[in-house]
Amino acid sequence: MADSTSEYVTLVSCDGFEFILPRSTACISGTIRRMLDPASKFSEALTGRCVLETLTGVVLEKVCEYFFYNEKHKDQANVPDMDIPPELCLELLMAADYLDT
Amino acid sequence: MRFRVILTSCFRADRRSGRNIRGPHSALTDFLASNNISAAQIRDEYDRRVADATRQAAEEEEAATLDREEAEYEPTPDPESPEDKSKKRKRQQAIEKIKKSKEFARRKARRTGEPDDDDDALANTMISEKQRPNPGQLDNCEICGKRFTVTAYSKTGPSGGLLCADCSKKHVDGGKKGPVKKRSSGIGRRKNQSNLLDGMASHGTQSLLETCIKKVADNIDDVEEFGDLPPPVMHRLSQILSRKRAVTSKTLDLFLRPSHREINIYDCARLDTDDYHKILASMPRLTRLNLRFVTPMKDRVFQYMIDRDMNIQDLHLDSPNLVTDDCWRQVFTELGPRLQSLKLWNIDSAFDDETMQIMCKSCTGLRRLKLKYLWKIGDKALESIATLKNLEHLSLHFSQETNPEPLLQVITEVAPKLRSLSLEEFRLADDRLLQHIHEHCHHLSKLRITKNDLFTDKELAALFRGWSNPALRFVDFNNLRDVDMSNPAGPPEPVGLASDGFIALMEHSGSKIETLNIASCRHISHAAYEEVFSEHKRYPELKYLDIAFQGVVDDYLAQCIFRCCPALTRLVVFGCFKIRDLRVPKGVAVIGTMGAKLKVDGITQKEIV
Repeated sequence: MADSTSEYVTLVSCDGFEFILPRSTACISGTIRRMLDPASKFSEALTGRCVLETLTGVVLEKVCEYFFYNEKHKDQANVPDMDIPPELCLELLMAADYLDT
Repeated sequence: MRFRVILTSCFRADRRSGRNIRGPHSALTDFLASNNISAAQIRDEYDRRVADATRQAAEEEEAATLDREEAEYEPTPDPESPEDKSKKRKRQQAIEKIKKSKEFARRKARRTGEPDDDDDALANTMISEKQRPNPGQLDNCEICGKRFTVTAYSKTGPSGGLLCADCSKKHVDGGKKGPVKKRSSGIGRRKNQSNLLDGMASHGTQSLLETCIKKVADNIDDVEEFGDLPPPVMHRLSQILSRKRAVTSKTLDLFLRPSHREINIYDCARLDTDDYHKILASMPRLTRLNLRFVTPMKDRVFQYMIDRDMNIQDLHLDSPNLVTDDCWRQVFTELGPRLQSLKLWNIDSAFDDETMQIMCKSCTGLRRLKLKYLWKIGDKALESIATLKNLEHLSLHFSQETNPEPLLQVITEVAPKLRSLSLEEFRLADDRLLQHIHEHCHHLSKLRITKNDLFTDKELAALFRGWSNPALRFVDFNNLRDVDMSNPAGPPEPVGLASDGFIALMEHSGSKIETLNIASCRHISHAAYEEVFSEHKRYPELKYLDIAFQGVVDDYLAQCIFRCCPALTRLVVFGCFKIRDLRVPKGVAVIGTMGAKLKVDGITQKEIV
């Protein structure tokens, strides 16, 4: 479907949820950026599809929400922190650590 | 009944204006009289003003009340009637007055996004609010018509009148809740300033990791286990929790991991002696013990450490004041040889020169030593430190006054391997120390020498000129200056870090320097700044610059600094009063301006004044 030049990439959670988002947005995550780097020749870079085995759909959804939140407030000063439900924050913390965001 | 209220207030006004109590002549009155100021005149004028104000208020109230009466009994008043005209005029006057008031401006600012012709409506609401009876007076309930005493808690009814207690309750229960107060987007000014002081000039969002860590710290009481968090994240969590003073026995459990080799808790004030045992018992592989504010730590904690023969390599403790000298000596004799770094702060009742001697004899592998505010050590301790040949990082801040000679001995002996050197508040050290550093240190990347008024500018410049040491990464020379109240300009031969020393320092280390603190080095001239931050100079790595209390720095120099330091994130300028109007580049936190206008991206920032 997508290739290394496509504008959109697909992120897949371990339970099969797929999130399609602009490449630049997904690349806010250092890990995903390195996965998708065309120079890396990883299969993710070739197909534009990242399967994130460690993340559940719920967490990945929140991660994607953060990507867009980050993109939206890129040039603003004094941005409030994104709201995170407390029950999700530990899992999200692990995800953030893994994704390098 | 309403008329009665008006009458009482008129009566009150009369009584007030008629008050004319004469007291005895005071010394002040006499003095004023001698200066042609009449106390009586002042008082009369005051009385007149009060009377005027009260009368006016009463008139307005009257007009308004009549208006209201009218609205109730004559739904369609004849617009031509002369009486009505005068009332209308009065009301119009009242509205004009309200429109000029501060309260009106404030409310108007709050209702942004609505059309401007709302002014009249707003003024009308404010007028009717003003006419409401004060707490303590009587009014008729708007819904049930019952007579009740107005209190501060009386609710406003649907058409603006007040409600009695019963109706108030019903109104709240049954009716809609008041409009939710709109929270302005962004975080508050206070928080911004707090972030600024922490050095975060934030642009864009914080990382998801940081956001989550903060969130976890906020909800720490609900966390049962951290799971498999990596040590750096644990470290950050510990920092945040310590800052909130939230580390208790319960929270401590979250950090105890048998597999981890290090523990860092920056505030142990709420832990007790058993908790330290718990740390040692549940983390047998511990090599790094970093605990601050460990007031309840006692000998037996160390005894346990010795009994278990724990492999502690890094021991960082702040204020272990209940540990005795005997215990310290035993610890160093038993576990000393494996220690690689030792950092101790704030010990006043133990840890004397003799302990220090034993420490230096046993801990031969020590590479990092930091001793701050240990009250009982002095010159002798310095002599012992001179025997530690493997030191790479040395940081000393003694409470006792020490002689310059032992310090020179330390430099001569340990300098060859030293990579960082921090000597704070050695007031008696003189130029010889600088010469020794110049001669013996060749691998320094961090140098801190502070609070001294004996070093001369000439020797500071000589330290950097022709020094075989590569460029420094971290320099802190704060408070190297002459202190003489009667001669603020300093002696003709400059003392402390002054113009020449500053130029030499930046020539030597400019290419690598990341942190520079020259606060209070007040003899650096404008010309020296101009030279250091001239157009073609660049300090690519400089991130943190503290130039507090340098009166010569003005807007022009500050802009030059911004131009020469592209990586700058923090500029500390407390007491630089010539900084008035600054265009701050993105991502730089300017800390400590007083009433200056700061512009980031052309947007004027609010600041603490």
